[in-house]
Amino acid sequence: MHDHLLQTLGHTSGVHDWRLRRVVTASTQYYLAGREPENERSVNSERFEVEVYNDHPAAQGGEMRRGSAAVTLLPGDEARIDARIRQAVFMAGLTDNPPFDLPGPAVYPQVLTADRLLEAEPARVARDLAGRLLEAVAHEPGISLASAEFFVDRHEMELENSRGVNGREARTSLLVDFVLLARDEAGHETESHVEVRRRALQGVDLPELVRRQAQYARDTLRAGEPETGRFPVIISGDALHQLLGGSFMSPLAFRSSARFKYEGVSRWELGASVYDGATPTGDPLTVYANAILPWGLGSGAFDEDGVPGARLQVIEHGVLRSFWAPQRYAQYLQVPPTGAFGNLEVLPGSLAVADMWQGVGLLYHVVAFSSMMPDPVTGNFVGEIRLGYERRGHEVRPIKGGSLSGNLFVGLAHARLSQETVMLGDYLGPQAVRFPELTVSGR
Amino acid sequence: MTDSVLPPELEAIRSRLPEMVADLERRAPYGAALATSSAGLQVAVSDRESRVSEDQRSQGAVLSAWNGAFLQERAVGSLAPEALAGAAHALAAELELRPGPAPEPGPPRDEHLSRPTEIDPRTQTPRDKLELCQRYHAAVRGLDPHIVNAMVTYNETAEAKVFAGRGRLLSQSITRIRFQILLIVSDGQKVQRDWLMRDGTGGLEIAHIADDELRALAAEAAALLGAGRIEPGFYDVVFDPTVSGVMAHEAFGHGVEADMFVKGRARAAEYLGKRVGSPLVNLLDDPTVPGAYGSYLLDDEGQVAAPTTILREGVFERGLTDLYSAFRLGIPRTANGRRQGYERKAYARMSNTFFARGTTPVDELIAGVERGVYLRKTSSGMEDPKGWGVQVEANIGEEIAGGRRTGRLFSPVGITGYVPDILASVSAVGNDFALDGGNCGKGWKEWVPVSSGGPHLRLKARLG
Repeated sequence: MHDHLLQTLGHTSGVHDWRLRRVVTASTQYYLAGREPENERSVNSERFEVEVYNDHPAAQGGEMRRGSAAVTLLPGDEARIDARIRQAVFMAGLTDNPPFDLPGPAVYPQVLTADRLLEAEPARVARDLAGRLLEAVAHEPGISLASAEFFVDRHEMELENSRGVNGREARTSLLVDFVLLARDEAGHETESHVEVRRRALQGVDLPELVRRQAQYARDTLRAGEPETGRFPVIISGDALHQLLGGSFMSPLAFRSSARFKYEGVSRWELGASVYDGATPTGDPLTVYANAILPWGLGSGAFDEDGVPGARLQVIEHGVLRSFWAPQRYAQYLQVPPTGAFGNLEVLPGSLAVADMWQGVGLLYHVVAFSSMMPDPVTGNFVGEIRLGYERRGHEVRPIKGGSLSGNLFVGLAHARLSQETVMLGDYLGPQAVRFPELTVSGR
Repeated sequence: MTDSVLPPELEAIRSRLPEMVADLERRAPYGAALATSSAGLQVAVSDRESRVSEDQRSQGAVLSAWNGAFLQERAVGSLAPEALAGAAHALAAELELRPGPAPEPGPPRDEHLSRPTEIDPRTQTPRDKLELCQRYHAAVRGLDPHIVNAMVTYNETAEAKVFAGRGRLLSQSITRIRFQILLIVSDGQKVQRDWLMRDGTGGLEIAHIADDELRALAAEAAALLGAGRIEPGFYDVVFDPTVSGVMAHEAFGHGVEADMFVKGRARAAEYLGKRVGSPLVNLLDDPTVPGAYGSYLLDDEGQVAAPTTILREGVFERGLTDLYSAFRLGIPRTANGRRQGYERKAYARMSNTFFARGTTPVDELIAGVERGVYLRKTSSGMEDPKGWGVQVEANIGEEIAGGRRTGRLFSPVGITGYVPDILASVSAVGNDFALDGGNCGKGWKEWVPVSSGGPHLRLKARLG
């Protein structure tokens, strides 16, 4: 298939550039319902993703324009390669976008993306993790396991293009998803759910995760509602990851994207504040787009076009320093190509987590949202509090329900960032952030 | 009107799957095979660029066998007979057989299921679809000076599958269409966005938006630049069908997916046959709704689609099952065993989930609110099947005063609460009905196409 594809791309009329990605995936999945296995599966697949670039005179004006289109070829498609590539050329020829080049050959960095422990015996890893989870849960009084899922995946990628790019990389990932139930003497039950994705086995501390989630489940049993008003709020751990990381893309990555700048969706300007008009009073915000973070879920030696992975300073002390830019949008914006965003790296701040609750009276600390998907365009966010804590001096009580809302960019202008950092898959940064005032809608 | 047929790769494998299942059942007490194919087209036109391209294509199959205690599966990203035979052979060899009862596949049936399409997308070229997007882009772009970009997208996915079980050989072909106009507006300081969506199963007739709707979209997008944040608290509210639908989906739909019962995660298990909402509330899940985005004719475990009444006059009647949960709970199956793709296992999942239509005109719903908020255009939601909390986010809230909409907007607005309280507070149900499509995850993964909706509802809710 591979050689035939290259030959076809080389001789098909209208193919002025091309990119070919071969992706081979192996996935092992193991599921528990309660303490018993529910399903065990293995999945193998291979696909060739072809992007074809066609240069042609614009329908209006006649200047040269470029279009591109993708087709996927799968095992069994050998006899259709010619027709599929011609189809891609036809689609690429329909659109008149400004010209851009593909990257050429480059020296790629060595990045830790594949864990040999996950590659070697994925089925054994999945079953071992299930056993360790059951053992850890057995040590937690009043706690039982509702369900668990373990995915051990390996992706092997080969990238080539018509300008000489040639890269190969293996990436592993591990997903651990489980739900714990807590039950009180009156028979009331609550749950805590966690989903952890990591590149390497060492990134999952299962006993600690179980201990934390068990405590969350117990605390949820006795949680009350928060008050209504504007209060200082600490957001930490996975909840902070959701807020800063967003759903499909971090709002920080969205606003600093050359593509969305080119599209007119981001109003950020180089050298200007990122706080949407707010005067900063908190810890200065410094952000890196880090595509070479060891074991980062967003890490890679190269991006999908073949631009080498890098660590790029995007924001320095609250001021935009760079747009991160894939090759195409770098050329459109006339900035250096930096490749994919990679992982969100936020530099730590000045305050120890233990000092975050000092001297502020009534304060809320949110550790889990039901869902937190800040609008990357506006920065506005609202999310139900799945679990948090209300602190009044030394008094602490768990809370749940109600919502927390605000604007991320304005909030960050006034936020204090923790000294301690945490690595959560595709986020390396402060373990906790304290916002001086966010809106809580409670009882 | 045309009927859809299977793509050639699936047609070629269709007749061979029963033999593979029979081979599996020589060792296992239950075996099944599912072969799937999906291919799509995406077209996007914005102010700055455009694209016409294939949406990622997928083909593959999954072989399933019950080993006496649980399902074991092998999946391959290929429809080549030798690849499937290899997977079946490997699965048979690795089965860890145990004594125990096994699921039954259902009565024998051999049928290809499809629905006629008005404007078959296959009869239109990619150029036709690009020109459709370009026409809408041109139509909407100049409607308001605040518009800084207009993005028109068309997505078409042709899905086909074949299920084989003991005595059962069923197949279906469906095309899903999503057509969206997204406006980005700015006043030089603030940026906002607003959108209109059309979606469904069927043909290009879905991709149509009337001129007055385009004008209303542009006006509303510009008005959102002046939107404020709502004062948190409890309000009398009116939901539009999109908000009603996501409330139905998140508040009660996820909580009655029967795999949650097996895992002890569903509070609804304690309420079977009991009242959980106002007698005005009827809630259904129906994969057979003609033309709805979440519709299908056959689930991924060989169950032919049929509607399920979840709540009847406020009383919880039954949940939604996949094969595993129905077998474990000893209850009848519903056609809700769905997979993200051959790469993932089946779960109990919703299809088209909605509140049934009521009798009150929408104007009367709003007129009945002295001070409150009209909530429309859901942007997201999240379930809490154990705690029965719910979170729904509406992109737009509009103040109601003296029974009239004032034009004062809030954005975004979060709606949270305790599900039985919300359902019990429903005081009127509109006589309208609409469904809105999207993709639903189980937790944070396992995405499947669904729709949700219903009529306008009047109720009380906590907003923030």
